[in-house]
Amino acid sequence: MERKDYLKEPVKHIKINGTLTVDQLMQQYNNSGSFGAGRLATACDIYEKMLRDKDCTVFLALSGAVVPAGMRTIIVDLIRNHLVDVIVSTGACMVHDAIEAVGGHHYKGGWQVNDAELYKYHLFRIYDIFVPEEDYVRLDFVFSEMYADIARERKGEGLASDEFTREIGKRLTDENSILRAAYEENVPIFLPSVRDSEFGFIHWLHASQKDQKNVLLVDAFKDVPTICGICSKSPKNGMIVIGGGVPRNTIQSSALASKKGLDYGIVITLDRPETGGLSGSTLEETVSWGKMKGSAGHVMVIGEALMVFPFIVASATERLGKDFKRVSFLQRIKLAEKGN
Amino acid sequence: MAGEETGEFCGNCDSHNCYQYPAKVFCSTRYWQHLDPIVDTLWHCSSYNRVSQECYCVREAKKKAAASAQS
Repeated sequence: MERKDYLKEPVKHIKINGTLTVDQLMQQYNNSGSFGAGRLATACDIYEKMLRDKDCTVFLALSGAVVPAGMRTIIVDLIRNHLVDVIVSTGACMVHDAIEAVGGHHYKGGWQVNDAELYKYHLFRIYDIFVPEEDYVRLDFVFSEMYADIARERKGEGLASDEFTREIGKRLTDENSILRAAYEENVPIFLPSVRDSEFGFIHWLHASQKDQKNVLLVDAFKDVPTICGICSKSPKNGMIVIGGGVPRNTIQSSALASKKGLDYGIVITLDRPETGGLSGSTLEETVSWGKMKGSAGHVMVIGEALMVFPFIVASATERLGKDFKRVSFLQRIKLAEKGN
Repeated sequence: MAGEETGEFCGNCDSHNCYQYPAKVFCSTRYWQHLDPIVDTLWHCSSYNRVSQECYCVREAKKKAAASAQS
């Protein structure tokens, strides 16, 4: 690089006129191009590109308390509008969705509270959100019966985690549920760490029943060829990560195993790279593994997802406009298969 | 104070979880035996096993029961 290459574009100052839309604010952030605002604006650009790219399959990784904090409807709308194609989630995120699907709620609370007293009142705290224990217990009861029903139908056959979430979504009636919406729109939800959530403990409740003849069997190894097959078939793959952990790793490793590498990547996290853990690892580090292409459009937004993700979605969808109808690569394959 | 309610109540048993606070609990032991798992907090059965429940279920259920008896 020559000296002049470092001085191509001056920072333009952010102008607020009082009637800015979300996307207009993101454009102002883009004019600055600096710090967190610059990264957020870049994330909006990359998501828009992913959605306009007819060959790109969009993977969404969910971890942390996405649903309790109030992003359930955003995810449902993304599914119903075909603005995500595959979800890879922690078990807990889908447990939170399921809790609301069977009538439970997450409550605005506080973080400076008497946690010992919360315990005595059977109230659980997720930072400044409260969940009553009975909402979990109701889920346990309803889902244990659901597990038995699924197991009876499958007669000992193991389910991949996306089949498991599909069976659950089929049995839920709440249209505002992520699991239900994904079932209706044929969006697979993979839960690679399904056991590490209430879903695992519900399995214990279900399997421990006296003389239980049909125990539900979920085989997460069965996910691998399915998710790698999606990466492999798709001409391009992009990921949006909320948090990190197992869901991020599952998408990245599938992109690598299918010898594709990701073409787009957005990671929203507060984790740091110095531990060597995956959640905070930079996307440049991801390139070194071959999980992301060196040429890929990518950005890591250092921030809390509840503040960041709605801006990205609002900005990208504003740019696309109301008449934008996305038919994903996976949908086109399915339509072609049906036609044959 | 929690822990002062020493009686033999479902709400003091280590099989209990909240089902409808404070009056009803979910009993996993009964569920495993194919018995109705939703029981009154102030009830108990032969499987009663108080190990380490430190909660307000019994205290609050008694208050609620007293209030409904008065009304």
